[in-house]
Amino acid sequence: MKQEESEILKGLGKDPGFKVPENYFEEFNKRMLDSLPEKEIKTQVIEKPSMWVRVRPYVYAAASFAGIWCMITVFNQVNGTNDNKIGEIASKMQTEDNAEEFMMNGGATEYDIMTYQDSVMMDAEDQDTKLNSVTK
Amino acid sequence: MAARSTYDEAQVIEQLRDPITARTAFGKVIEHYSSTLYWQIRRLVFNHDDANDVLQNTFIKAWTSIDHFRGDARLSTWLYKIAINESITFINKQKALNHVSIDDDDSFLVNQLASDEYFDGDDAQLKLQRAIATLPEKQRIVFNLRYYDEMKYEDMSEVLGTSVGALKASYHHALKKIESFFQDND
Repeated sequence: MKQEESEILKGLGKDPGFKVPENYFEEFNKRMLDSLPEKEIKTQVIEKPSMWVRVRPYVYAAASFAGIWCMITVFNQVNGTNDNKIGEIASKMQTEDNAEEFMMNGGATEYDIMTYQDSVMMDAEDQDTKLNSVTK
Repeated sequence: MAARSTYDEAQVIEQLRDPITARTAFGKVIEHYSSTLYWQIRRLVFNHDDANDVLQNTFIKAWTSIDHFRGDARLSTWLYKIAINESITFINKQKALNHVSIDDDDSFLVNQLASDEYFDGDDAQLKLQRAIATLPEKQRIVFNLRYYDEMKYEDMSEVLGTSVGALKASYHHALKKIESFFQDND
């Protein structure tokens, strides 16, 4: 600090020559504290959630499940499952005399018949004799 | 002085955060900092009544925005910043009222100093105040903080948001200008 100061400032000292009224700071402190505006104390009001807000997650979950169930049902009705197809083929093969006609009329594809045969082979006891004659 | 000896800044900051104890804690802040801030403001605005008004504004602004004080800086630094900003705002308003260009120095503020009942400096002290008033605003603030408050450049850097190197350069330039003022007005 001393190295920074000029010769002129060294001769002047640090007193700028300013004064304040007597007891200024004591009176200012008191006056200042009294004049501070009131601060609003924020109180947090916790509102009870409405019935809809409480049940909303469950309603959404139920709607989602219902939607998925509807989609699966519609899909099955339109396309059918492989198991249902096998059941249908077996039923036709066993009950109708003209099984070949059933095939020729497009009641089942070649893949469906092969799948059906595989299932029949796995259960030899229930093997139907009509199936052999058709595949030959 | 008794109030200063019991001042615990960490405890006061904690109390300021609680709405129930905030007002009492702020009273301690006023007691602790009013004198320091007053002299800082007074050296910028020169006149006692003006310094009194700016000091009030400083504390009111600090009180109303105390929720924004995050505590990552020192309270003194935060208050210094507010005081300096309030002083600059006041000076700019005075310039507008007195039809002084915003780019001109603040010499007009010191014109009434000789007749001010709260100034009892001699001719040399008055001359120094006149010399300081000719400095650009930033240099004037740096000079006052360094010369009168003997504030460290690192602390000044926090208050003014300027690098230490730039502050040293500002102080050096301020000294040269003051010397030059004295030589020209011998």
